Amino acid sequence: MSNLLIWPVALPLLAALLALLWPGRSTWIGVAGTALSLLAVLLVARQLVETGPIELALGGWAPGLGIALRADGLSLLMLSMSSLVAMAVAVYASVYFSQSDRRGEFWVLWLLLITALHALFLSGDLFNLYVTLELLGLSAVVLACLGGSRESLRAALRYLVLGLLGSLAFLMGVALVYAGYGTLDMAALGAAIEAGPTAWVALSLMTGGLLIKSALFPLHFWLPPAHANAPAPVSAVLSALVVKAALYLILRLWLELFDGVVTQAAALIVGVLGAIAVVWGSWAALRAERLKLMAAYSTVAQLGYLFLFLPLLAALPQGEGRDLALGALVLLALTHGFAKSAFFLAAGVIMQRAGHDRIAELGGTARALPVTAFTIALAGVALIGLPPSGSFLAKWQLLSSVFVTGQWIWLPVIAIGTLLAGAYIFRLLGHAFAPGEGVGPSLSVGREEIPAMLLALIATLLLGFWATTVWDLVPITAYAAGGIG
Amino acid sequence: MTQALIYALTGAVIFMLGVRTTLLRDALLHRILGLNVSGAGVFLVFVSLAYRGDSLTTDPVPHALVLTGLVVAISATALALALNRRLREMDHE
Amino acid sequence: MMNMSLTMIPDLMLAVLLIGMAWAALSSDDLKRGVILFIAFGLLLAIVWARLQAPDLALAEAAIGAGLAGALLLVALRDETGGKVAAGEVSRSGRWLVDLFALTMTCLIGWVLWLTIYTEPVERLAPLAHAMLAQSGVSNPVTAVLLNYRAYDTLLELVVVLTAVLGVMVVGRERRGYRQAGPVFCGLVHWLVPLLIVTAGYLLWVGAHAPGGAFQAGATLAAAGILLRLAGEDAAGLPGGIRLRWLLVVGIGLFLIIGLGVTLSSGQVLQYPKAWSGALILVIESAATASIAAALVLAYRGGRPQGWLTAVDKENNREVSA
Repeated sequence: MSNLLIWPVALPLLAALLALLWPGRSTWIGVAGTALSLLAVLLVARQLVETGPIELALGGWAPGLGIALRADGLSLLMLSMSSLVAMAVAVYASVYFSQSDRRGEFWVLWLLLITALHALFLSGDLFNLYVTLELLGLSAVVLACLGGSRESLRAALRYLVLGLLGSLAFLMGVALVYAGYGTLDMAALGAAIEAGPTAWVALSLMTGGLLIKSALFPLHFWLPPAHANAPAPVSAVLSALVVKAALYLILRLWLELFDGVVTQAAALIVGVLGAIAVVWGSWAALRAERLKLMAAYSTVAQLGYLFLFLPLLAALPQGEGRDLALGALVLLALTHGFAKSAFFLAAGVIMQRAGHDRIAELGGTARALPVTAFTIALAGVALIGLPPSGSFLAKWQLLSSVFVTGQWIWLPVIAIGTLLAGAYIFRLLGHAFAPGEGVGPSLSVGREEIPAMLLALIATLLLGFWATTVWDLVPITAYAAGGIG
Repeated sequence: MTQALIYALTGAVIFMLGVRTTLLRDALLHRILGLNVSGAGVFLVFVSLAYRGDSLTTDPVPHALVLTGLVVAISATALALALNRRLREMDHE
Repeated sequence: MMNMSLTMIPDLMLAVLLIGMAWAALSSDDLKRGVILFIAFGLLLAIVWARLQAPDLALAEAAIGAGLAGALLLVALRDETGGKVAAGEVSRSGRWLVDLFALTMTCLIGWVLWLTIYTEPVERLAPLAHAMLAQSGVSNPVTAVLLNYRAYDTLLELVVVLTAVLGVMVVGRERRGYRQAGPVFCGLVHWLVPLLIVTAGYLLWVGAHAPGGAFQAGATLAAAGILLRLAGEDAAGLPGGIRLRWLLVVGIGLFLIIGLGVTLSSGQVLQYPKAWSGALILVIESAATASIAAALVLAYRGGRPQGWLTAVDKENNREVSA
């Protein structure tokens, strides 16, 4: 049943409407809605593993005239990450917002954000993607405002304006694609697009817009204040999921729709920007004085790694080598998603307990909040890329792709980035495990500490052991040759 | 198709005028005007693509896309203005 | 090359005027002047839409692009006075770089448009969209795209509207209303509001076969609400509490339930049974009109009304019992 594909979008949306109608029950509706969306994603996963890529032609119209939803390996991995992270964050948020008079609003917007993410990962139509991008951007901005402080509003406004600029550039690219190829259906476009001025200009516009949204250096400046000033559950999904949505689209465009259009030079530029982001972001994280700001800068750096893969992917011919590198990229993105959301949730626990998140004053955390300190250590393992985390395997593959393609220039970047990540994580752990009274004594293990730990465990253990699944799923595509078409 | 081309090129110019303003101006209201104008530029390109001369019926798909885009634009504008207003209030508090 | 003829002259003039107006609106240092020029730009654009045979858009642009956006921007001007105008200027070299970038991109986009529109035009979706019109349940092709072929886009777009308006209410409290207007204005409003409501109903109904539809109707209805507020009616014709929330939700809710429900009969999400499609589209559009109008009016009111969604059980129960 291809109709299955509508449920990851329809269920959170229905729940959002219900939460708006019955704010008194919003916590319950929010957690249940998130859980049902996760269930829908799992059903899609089961179907996909059995039958390969799934397509749903909405309204029964042929894709092109109508809109198609499609699920393949890449979208399934992104969907699984977002619904799993969302589930854990929802449980955490049910505690975090339990006393807040903002919780009605939070849950509605939370469910709308999940709707947007799932719609984006399933969409098979370029204009529909624009709508989902806007929905994602607006719901993320509003969630980031929930803190209500002046800094958070200022950051949210900047995030909004830049996001809108990015969407408009994307939309102009969509217009040019429609002008040149007469359709918006991505499967048809994958077959039709060939190198030429239309493809180059359209791809540059769309990529430019998406790079703003994915915060690649030097378009990163909006991210740290926006992510660091939002409420903890919101920071977690902004850093783990929302920026990944733009990256997912870049992968779709570069590797599938516009495959053969991307020039080595363009990929090299993006790779160099990624390299700068790795070094600069890690350095800024090392110098950050606040925990959440450190996590936000670390996101800038981690996103940089993902862009390092693009010149390698462009240099590798289609086939096993490229699939290996792409799988590693996705694995790194997933690991970062789980680890960073765990990290932000743990930071939220500390902040609520200690009343601040100044790194230098975190002494005593490990004694007062052992589970949370353990979570931070686990997430740190994944952020640095130590075994057995998923990112260790991904970086290993990154290195071997560097050897295969002979692009040695990335080696020092990877080394410096990893060393700096080690430095900022150990600096943090040094403070957290030091004796001190910065954090008050713990009463018991809180319900809010468990979800973060589970996320960190997924990043460090599960993804490491199940990494082959990622590599198996990535080549199942609905768009390149051998897809549904 | 010359008419369509005239308006499409106008759309391209207006789009970049708006982008330029959004990048260069500091006042939020200016930036919002810039975003709205550049959105109008994109819409103009879409509608030009739909125009197939006076003798043929137009392509309804870009028209529908632009209607969708218009509503998205006004929604985003409303949100940005509300944020700006709250920040101004905080300036005075 | 281009066969220039006299018929091109009005188009060229409109194009030059449009660019000039955009430039004037954006380059003005006086924000009020900029906003007014922007509204004029929107009206000019409505003429261009009519010229390009897009009457649906001409209506929408006049109502939304120029009308409502203008109204929102004009009230926003009130917030600017008194606040300091930020004066962090971009350096000269930065300005030069941005201009160079803008010029390059304009040329590149123009080049592609030249190629795709003039030199090697391609067949797009027009023939297919018209060919399938008979099966769509409506005869206005734009409505067919919006509510049938690409109904999913429209559904998500309604969600965008809801998200934005929730955002407006998260961020701040609603603006203070206006004092009760004088008898002349009130008399005018008493005439205009029913007229606008009837017009909205007409636009909604006629959208099936002629220019019009839920968005134009919703915007017209919202204009009626804004007029009421200007005359001193603070709620602008909207209910409060749970009824307001139902009003915001009903458009998406019905759309979603119908879109999923038709699966039982046709086997495919959003595929209306042929005999019912016209009626179902009208139902969806009516509900959407109500939600869009409510959202736009709320956006104009500028924030959350008293007692909006404070998420306390007690209050929720009181609302239910009331």
